[in-house]
Amino acid sequence: MEMSLPPTILAFPVAIPLAFAALGIVFQLMRPTRAVPMQQFLAGIALVCNLAVASVLLVFTLSGGRLAFQMGLWPAPFGITVYADALTAIMLFFVGLLSLLLLPFAMASLDARRERQGFYPMALVLLMGANGAFITGDLFNLYVFYEVLLMASFVLLALGGTPSQINGSIRYVVLNLMGSILLLLAAGITYGTLGTLNMAQIAERMPLAPPAVTALIAGLLLVAFGGKAALFPVFFWLPSSYHTPHPAVTALFSGVLTKVGMYSLFRTFPLFFPDLLIAWQPLLLVLAGLTMLVGVLGAFAQPTIRRLLSFHIISQIGYMLMGLAVALIPSPFGVGFGLAVAILFLVHNQLVKTALLTGGGQVEIEMGTGKLNELGGLVSQKPLLAVLFFIAAFSLAGFPPTSGFIGKLGLIEVTFATDKWLIAGVSIFVSLLTTMSMIRLWQYIFWGKPHTQRRSRSEYAPSTTQAMLLTPTAVLVVLSLLIGIFGQRALDATQIAASQAIDRKAYIETVNLQPTPGVQASEPSAAVLGTRMSAP
Amino acid sequence: MTALMLAVLVGVLMATGAYLILQRGQIKLVLGLALLSHGVNLALFGTGELTRGAPAILPHDAAEAAQLLAARTVADPLPQALILTAIVISFGVTAFIVVLISRRDAFTGSDLAPGELAGVINSADPFTPHDPALALPEAADDYDVFAYELDEVYDLPEAKELLGHEEIDRE
Repeated sequence: MEMSLPPTILAFPVAIPLAFAALGIVFQLMRPTRAVPMQQFLAGIALVCNLAVASVLLVFTLSGGRLAFQMGLWPAPFGITVYADALTAIMLFFVGLLSLLLLPFAMASLDARRERQGFYPMALVLLMGANGAFITGDLFNLYVFYEVLLMASFVLLALGGTPSQINGSIRYVVLNLMGSILLLLAAGITYGTLGTLNMAQIAERMPLAPPAVTALIAGLLLVAFGGKAALFPVFFWLPSSYHTPHPAVTALFSGVLTKVGMYSLFRTFPLFFPDLLIAWQPLLLVLAGLTMLVGVLGAFAQPTIRRLLSFHIISQIGYMLMGLAVALIPSPFGVGFGLAVAILFLVHNQLVKTALLTGGGQVEIEMGTGKLNELGGLVSQKPLLAVLFFIAAFSLAGFPPTSGFIGKLGLIEVTFATDKWLIAGVSIFVSLLTTMSMIRLWQYIFWGKPHTQRRSRSEYAPSTTQAMLLTPTAVLVVLSLLIGIFGQRALDATQIAASQAIDRKAYIETVNLQPTPGVQASEPSAAVLGTRMSAP
Repeated sequence: MTALMLAVLVGVLMATGAYLILQRGQIKLVLGLALLSHGVNLALFGTGELTRGAPAILPHDAAEAAQLLAARTVADPLPQALILTAIVISFGVTAFIVVLISRRDAFTGSDLAPGELAGVINSADPFTPHDPALALPEAADDYDVFAYELDEVYDLPEAKELLGHEEIDRE
C-alpha cells in the first residue's frame, strides 16, 4: 500500500501537548473551581488529537514508510531533524493511548488540591517531552526533551508536597540529574569528535571515530539511558520514589518514563554502535540478568502494593535489554528478531504494568492504604477488579494467552537459538519468581478474610467514579489479551519496526543530509573529521 | 596549552562535584550538582575550537569561508549555544532541588537526610502518625520513616467516620 503523508505531521506530537499545556496553565490564573474542569477538557482534547496523529503515523510506518522533517526547513545537519519510523510510531501510539486512558482515572481519583496545583497541564508537558524524545533525530535535542520530560516528572512527583513525596523527589531528581549530565557529556564528546549532533550524520561518521572514543560515547549513553530505564546498577531512584506520589502519577510514570529510556537504547545502539552491540553482548546480557534478578528479589521484601510493583518494573526492564543484546546476532528467525521481541515486550509491559498500577491504585484509593497486611478479601467486594488484576498479574508473569507469554516465549526462543543458555535460564527462573510474587500480591489483596477494620470507600462513591477508576485497567487487560491471542500479527508489526530500526542506511537516506558548504564535496565526512581529529 | 588547562579544570570540577555529592549535608549535594554541571559545560566549551580573538561567524563569501576554515581562525558557535541551553536547564533544576530541600528542611528541622534522623522525626514531625504500633525503630530504613499517605478521594467527611478509618487514624 502506497501512502504519502506530509512530513509536517511530525510537528504535531510535540506541538499538540505543548499548545494545550500552555493554554491550561493560562487557566491556572482563574478560580480553581473553573480552571480545573477547563484543564480537564483541554487535556481530553489534546490527548485525543495526539492519539489520532499517532495512529495515522502508526498506519503509515507499519506499511513500510519512514518520515523525516527538518524543523524550520534548515537543511539536514544544520537544523533539527525529526524522524519517525515504525518503532517511533509504536511508542507514540502506546504512550498516547496510556495517557488518554489514565485521564478518566486521574479525574476520578485525584484530590482537589493536586488538581488545583496543575496536574493536567503538567501531565501534558510530560507527554510532550516523551513524544519529543521519540521523534527527535538530534542528540542534543534528545537531551533537551529528556530535561522537559524530567522537569514535568519532578513536578508531578512532588505534587501534593507530602513529606514522603519530597523525600522521594530529592533522590529522584538528584539521580536523574546525574544521568542527564552524562547524556550531555556524551553529546559534547560526540560533537567534539564527529563535528555533528544530527543522529543520521553521527551514524554515518561513527565508524571513522577512534574505537576508544566510540566506546566512551557508547558507555556514557548506556549509563545515561540505562539510568533513565532503571537498569542494574543505576535503578535506585525508582523504588525510592515511585510509591510516593498519587497512584495516577505512578501509573503514568510506569507507562512513560522508563520506557523512554529503553526506547532511546533501542534507537541509538543499533544506529550508532552496531559493532559494539555485538562486542558488548556479554556485558549487556549480564546487566539484563542482574536487572531481572535484583528487581524480582527486591519485590519479595516489599510491604505495599506500589513498592512491590515498582520493583517489578525494574525486573521487566531486564527482559527488554536481553532482547536488545541479541538484536543483531544472526539467528534462525532472522537478524533483528531479538529487537522485534524486545519491542513487543516493551509494549506488553507498558500495558500490563499500567493495568496493575491502576488496579492496585484503585485498591489503595478505596481502602485508604496500600499495606498488604491491612488488605484482604476484596474478591467479594470487587469481583471484576479481582479478575482483571488476576489476568494482568499472570500476563506480567508470562502465562498464555496473554501478551506476556508471546513476549517471553520469543525472548527465550531467540536466546536458545543463539546459544545464550545462561540468560535464557535466568529469565525462566525470574518468570517463576514473578509468578510467585504476583500470586502473593493477588492473595494479599483479594483472597482471605476481609480486614476487620477497613472497608472500601467505594460504597460512598458514585457509580460513574467507580467506572472511571476501572476503565484503564479493563481496557489495558483486554489489549494485553488481544496481543496474546493475535500474537503473530503483533510480532509481524514489531518485526517491521525492528527491521527499520536496524537499517542504518535507510535512516541516513531518509534524513537526507546536505553537504557542508566550504568543505570539499568529494569526501565531506572525512574532511570535516580530519580537522576535528587534529584539533590542537 | 589552553586545551590542557581546560581539561584539568573540567577534571577538578567533576571530581569536586562527585566528592561533594557523596557527602552527607544537603547543601553540599546542591553545590556538588552545580559543580558537576559546570564541569560538563566547560567540557562542552572545549569541543568547539579554542580559537582566540576570532569571530564565531563565517563570512558570506564561500571561498573566504573555506580559507578561514582551513586555517582554523574561526570560532565554533555551536558549543556556546549548547552551553547556554545547558546552563538554563541546570539553573532551573538546581532551583527546584533547592526548593525541595528547603521543604524537607522545614519538616525535619535539619540539613541532614532523614535516614539518620528517624528518632528525631518520629518525635518532631507533625506528619508521622502518633500510633505506637506505627512507631519506627531508630535505625529504620528512611523510606519507612514517612508512613504511606493518600489524600481523601471522595471528599466526604462522614465517609471516613462511617468506615472506621477515622478511628484507625486516631488510634
